[in-house]
Amino acid sequence: MRADADMPPDVLCDGLAKTFDGGVEAVRPLSVRFEGGHTTAVVGPSGCGKSTLLRLIAGLERPSAGRVEIGGLPPAETQRRGELAVAFQDPSLLPWRSVRGNIELALHLARRPVAAAHVEHLVRLVGLEGFADTRPAELSGGMRQRAAIARALVTEPELLLLDEPFAAVDELTRQQLAQDLPRIWEARGTTTILVTHSVNEAVMLSDRVIVLSPRPATVVADMAIDLPRPREPEMSRWPEFMASVDAVFAALSASMARNSLAIAAQ
Amino acid sequence: MTVATLAFIDKRSLRPGRGSALLGAVLLVLGWEVLARMLADAFVLAAPSEVLTAIVENRTLLMRALAVTLANGAAGFALGNLAAIALAGIALAFPRSQSIITGLALTVFCLPLVATGPILRVLFGPGPWPQIVLAALAVYYTTLVLLLVGLRATPSSWIDLMRSYGRGSFSTLVHVRAMASLPYLFAGLQIAAPAAFLGAMVGEFTGAERGMGVLTIRAMRDLDVDMTWALATVATAVAIAAYLAIGWVARRVLVADPPVILSPPRPPGWRGGGWHAPINVAVVAVAAVIAWWAALALSGLNPFFAKGPDDVFHALFLADNAGRTRAMLASAMWETAAFLLPGYLAGLLAGAGLAIVVVLFPMLAGAAMPAAIALRSVPIVTTAPLVVLILGRGAIGTIALVALMVFFPTFVACLHGLRQAPGQVLDVMDSYAAGPFQRLLRARLPAMLPAFFAAARMAVPASVLAVTVVEWLATGNGVGSLMALSASLSDYNMLWSAVVLVAALSALGYGGVGLVEARVLRIYAPEQLA
Repeated sequence: MRADADMPPDVLCDGLAKTFDGGVEAVRPLSVRFEGGHTTAVVGPSGCGKSTLLRLIAGLERPSAGRVEIGGLPPAETQRRGELAVAFQDPSLLPWRSVRGNIELALHLARRPVAAAHVEHLVRLVGLEGFADTRPAELSGGMRQRAAIARALVTEPELLLLDEPFAAVDELTRQQLAQDLPRIWEARGTTTILVTHSVNEAVMLSDRVIVLSPRPATVVADMAIDLPRPREPEMSRWPEFMASVDAVFAALSASMARNSLAIAAQ
Repeated sequence: MTVATLAFIDKRSLRPGRGSALLGAVLLVLGWEVLARMLADAFVLAAPSEVLTAIVENRTLLMRALAVTLANGAAGFALGNLAAIALAGIALAFPRSQSIITGLALTVFCLPLVATGPILRVLFGPGPWPQIVLAALAVYYTTLVLLLVGLRATPSSWIDLMRSYGRGSFSTLVHVRAMASLPYLFAGLQIAAPAAFLGAMVGEFTGAERGMGVLTIRAMRDLDVDMTWALATVATAVAIAAYLAIGWVARRVLVADPPVILSPPRPPGWRGGGWHAPINVAVVAVAAVIAWWAALALSGLNPFFAKGPDDVFHALFLADNAGRTRAMLASAMWETAAFLLPGYLAGLLAGAGLAIVVVLFPMLAGAAMPAAIALRSVPIVTTAPLVVLILGRGAIGTIALVALMVFFPTFVACLHGLRQAPGQVLDVMDSYAAGPFQRLLRARLPAMLPAFFAAARMAVPASVLAVTVVEWLATGNGVGSLMALSASLSDYNMLWSAVVLVAALSALGYGGVGLVEARVLRIYAPEQLA
């Protein structure tokens, strides 16, 4: 058992690697610790293996080498206790269930009681008030993604994994969500891992940004973001914010340049 | 996914057609009436007014027969679909068994009803069971294949969602797969409803005491033209009504409209190509022989008529008259092939050709689609007596019937495929001011191919059914007549040999079209082979 069940769990990746059956090497042995109760953003170029890393942590993919531990236990254990939630890139809402039905399904799957007020609150929070009884087919792409985020949050998991959660959300809503949602997981001290290719989003939402190289993914930079919480939209004009964004960009482009040099040298 | 010609037809393609479809129906009836009056002396075509009179005059008789056939069809419908659901469940629980299950299911589906009918008659006697079993046999295969597709028609992220909450395959089945497969199940039931009615009628051809099939045989024997047409009209109306009724129920139950299944897709996991094909065939053949043996051993039937694989082998190769048996079979098969192949090809060509013509006139396509979908559910085989009445007992009549049987599903599938050409590709063509023929050649025809091949594949057993029924009922040629003759002469060695041969050739034909299909799809629709 974990040392302290109330502490948000650390996520440890130890020599983690994944090579797919076809021989594609998605993640090269990678060791990193995601601190409990913190939000860590993972950025990297498209197709670098970010999502694979997230799926490995979620226990949806079996590592070719190394291991993942969530609070000292394998991911399957966290899954089994219903303490894990993933907001997938594709909202993956079940089309025959309403927004409410999809959110309640998560409670059911995690073996939690269904609290109608809590569900209502989340629906409001993600800006879907009045759409609780609407089926996904009648929602826009951004609305579906917000419903998927509400579903991930409803079980109040210990570990929240977000895979490009705002990709289809329009700019204004994205800003609103970026402001509102972190309050939920911060208040509960949820360990959050956010995969994104938006550098601004990574810096705005997280306490720490990890930069991955082009495929196969390895860590090329790991930097703390020292901005006060709660974050406000106007912080994006602060010099500290811009400095962090610049640093992440620099690390990203350096790794991509190295990669294209390596290709040119071959 | 392997959803070759599964189509969620949008409402626009159905609605504006209604007015013109109605107009078309009125014109059809008027033309029919005029033609019938012109041909009144030939005694082949009954006018709508005469058909109506025949229906009204014989209403008690017809109602009683219809009730019997409907009851048997409904029982077979329930039995066949339950069997399909059970088989799909087994295939889902034991994925490795799937290729054997679908292979055996196909082989049984390819058994010629003309022969299984008399065998079932001997087994069950004069009661309703042969009709019920034939109806079940006519429906279970499409439902099974569609269910297998439906149970797998789930985005992998839905499964991931279940797993991320630590839930396994049972939760996935309950929350995701069962619900996701419902539209496919309904689509299967929609095809099954007219097929069950057809199966029950063919069952009644084999010597039942009551029912629409019995009346059909009697009317044909009496050369009662009006009654023959009246029966075919009632059968057609019932088939279309059953098709529409299930569609209505589906729209009440489902979130989205049920997909219109233009022709059943390839069974998933069925690899047509490379060394898989011969191994699959061999495994299925062995499994079929074992199942046949086991069924005979378990049922303890009289070996006089219940022949096993060894009996058939003996009759074909070891018996004193083996040479004669083989020669009779070969000549019968040859006669049948001479009707079957031209009819099959003509039906395919006519179906695809008319679809291409229609799609060049978009207004026409909108109107033709709903009519064609409804007409596809017409039990063509039950109109066999009509075709024979009109075209005679010669080659033309048989070929025409086979072609008709192939034509409707091919036409509907191709029309849909053509209309499904990706809008963006068409927009690109437009931006280069490409004319309608360029669009047809470069965008629409490639989009039509998957649908065409799926239709061609399903048309193989359908055309075998058509040709054997006509040979049996009317022409007295070929393997259909040989089977009927051996059944009445109690020459069960010959009957079983013919059954094995027809089922094997028909299943192989299905597989052969599947191989060509796999090659073509690899180029034009690689996503369908994944």
